[in-house]
Amino acid sequence: MKDIEIRSERFQWIVILALLLASLPLILGYTLLILSSFSKEMVTNLDLTSFHFTLENWLYLLQGKLAITGGIRVDIWRIVFNTLLVALGVALVVTLVSTMAGYSLSRIDFKGRKHMMILLLILHAFPGVALIVGVYLLYLLTVPQGQGLDVLRLYSFFYVILARAALEIPMSVWLMKGFFDTVPWEFEWSGIIDGASRIEVWWKIMLPLVKPGILAVALFAFLAGWQDIIYVRTFLIDQTLATFIEANIEAEYSHMPLIAAAGTLYLLPTIVFFIVAQEILLQSYSGGIKG
Amino acid sequence: MVEITLKGITKRFGNFLALDNINLKINDREFMALLGPSGSGKSTLLYTIAGIYRPTRGRIYFDDRDVTDIPPKDRNVGLVFQNWALYPHMTVFENIAFPLELRKVPRDEIERKVREVAKMLHIENLLHRYPWQLSGGQQQRVAIARALVKEPDVLLLDEPLSNLDTLLRLEVRAELKRLQKELGITAVYVTHDQAEALAMADRIAVIKEGKILQVGTPNEVYYKPKYKFVGWFLGNPPMNFVEAEVEGDYLRVYSSRIPVPSHYREIIEKLGIKEVILGFRPHDAQIVKGVGDGLLGEVYSFEPLGREQIVTISLDGVFIKVFAPEEESFTFGEKVTVEIREDRIILFDKEKEVALEYLYKD
Ligand SMILES: Nc1ncnc2c1ncn2[C@@H]1O[C@H](COP(=O)(O)OP(=O)(O)O)[C@@H](O)[C@H]1O
Ligand SMILES: [Mg+2]
Repeated sequence: MKDIEIRSERFQWIVILALLLASLPLILGYTLLILSSFSKEMVTNLDLTSFHFTLENWLYLLQGKLAITGGIRVDIWRIVFNTLLVALGVALVVTLVSTMAGYSLSRIDFKGRKHMMILLLILHAFPGVALIVGVYLLYLLTVPQGQGLDVLRLYSFFYVILARAALEIPMSVWLMKGFFDTVPWEFEWSGIIDGASRIEVWWKIMLPLVKPGILAVALFAFLAGWQDIIYVRTFLIDQTLATFIEANIEAEYSHMPLIAAAGTLYLLPTIVFFIVAQEILLQSYSGGIKG
Repeated sequence: MVEITLKGITKRFGNFLALDNINLKINDREFMALLGPSGSGKSTLLYTIAGIYRPTRGRIYFDDRDVTDIPPKDRNVGLVFQNWALYPHMTVFENIAFPLELRKVPRDEIERKVREVAKMLHIENLLHRYPWQLSGGQQQRVAIARALVKEPDVLLLDEPLSNLDTLLRLEVRAELKRLQKELGITAVYVTHDQAEALAMADRIAVIKEGKILQVGTPNEVYYKPKYKFVGWFLGNPPMNFVEAEVEGDYLRVYSSRIPVPSHYREIIEKLGIKEVILGFRPHDAQIVKGVGDGLLGEVYSFEPLGREQIVTISLDGVFIKVFAPEEESFTFGEKVTVEIREDRIILFDKEKEVALEYLYKD
């Protein structure tokens, strides 16, 4: 890391304090949630009188026992797997489409390129909720008729991944285009002169050069898929963590600290991402071009 | 090993005319320098030869083969970019091997050829490193090695030394010139550095605003500039220019008078021209103390350079620079006479800024 090394330190602590204050509600909320997941009762205030440490919630959750009493059981690993499947599916589709579309928009002079870029921005501005009626209509039109439940379940996975990915794609394409824009043309020309086809240039030269972008796009898409509730709720027949929590949060039998544990599990990728991502994103830059 | 012929090459970017009817023949095994200021279209011309740009008009021939519509990879050219464009995610070995891999050359042959070319450029012990672990000079060698490894017919270089420091540049310059002759490869070398062009090239093509002004050996473009621009752009310090009026057999230069150089007498008479620009190189004149036959002026300043010194002389307010031996000493404001070597004088037309002999031929 490089920075101006000599600067006024007087205001530094004010800045840090301000940042801390601004993020306090968030940090507080997360802390209480995580604490609750390890407690017999929900931790709702700061004096921690209601905190009594236990691992029970996590044990029950991971065993799929939903309520402390009674025998309501659920295959929690299956739910985690479903969530992962949707998240990975969205990440894969978004990454694939945005690396190709981003490259084309950045490097290929085709008809309607400008219009397409504007269209993407407009699409991005549309909230996913607003589109859901139309997307549902398409679902009805395309859903395979007269098939068994298994086919329907599979199709619902397929559909929710595509639909959720479609929401992420406009922004991701823009992001990737931005990354491709920063690569000097000479890299591409050099490959072309050496005998590479356009596809080879894209695969062997350009993609490695925009790795940080690919990583960012893939991670954001993964999180979007992992966290999504509206599309999953509407289309997916199976449950993911989001719909699982939503379904159980108001159930009479539910034990709130256990739901807190599920919530923590649900948040885990986001937390891991923010710890790891900065490191990775910065790292991939230092491998760049040196004069 | 080919001869390159450019016929009427014109290149437009939208409305902007980047290359204007370029005609140029680059001989087999020749080292041709494209010399011009920044933005004159040198890179554009080089990329057109490589096939990255398609000329708006005109044809390109490699020997008798019309390559205008042939894609870059089938032209067998090696190109060294100004920023070298080394792939940061590949080691030096992988960088150099890349063109061969694309051609599906067998593994052991790649290995052999990469080592061979690496040895030639003295980078054989850097093969496992990544480009960002190399110094500028080493990166530049890798770029040249990558261009040479596929044994191209033509080597194209776009200001390859401009990112190096001065000392290194001088060293690589000599080496590159030698290498080109040893390989017997046709080379086109783009540069904005006149010293580089003079030092390395067999011939120089001077480009300005997308037009070739003059093509010739370093000696020709240096001593016989066709345009005032060429005289000014080559040489350091550049050629001196002073306005002169023809008065019979004499040229009036401000308050001084010198005879019309003998090689211009007939031309001036034929053209009936009155106003000219007199050009001469700083080393083609000598300074004589006091008032004598020549251009009268006074010493404005002097800069010792070790072996010699540059003396700036004011001719009635117009500055010229003349070299003087190191042992001579001057004082500010001293009255001197500048005696120009007559046979080295070039006279330019004042309007067109073309040397009179070319005006006369047209
Ligand atoms: N792709 C392009 N699109 C538009 N203008 C260009 C393009 N490439 C070069 N130019 C213009 O053409 C002129 C010549 O450029 P270039 O060949 O790079 O000059 P040089 O290499 O001599 O410095 C410049 O004015 C530049 O702005
Ligand atoms: Mg250039």
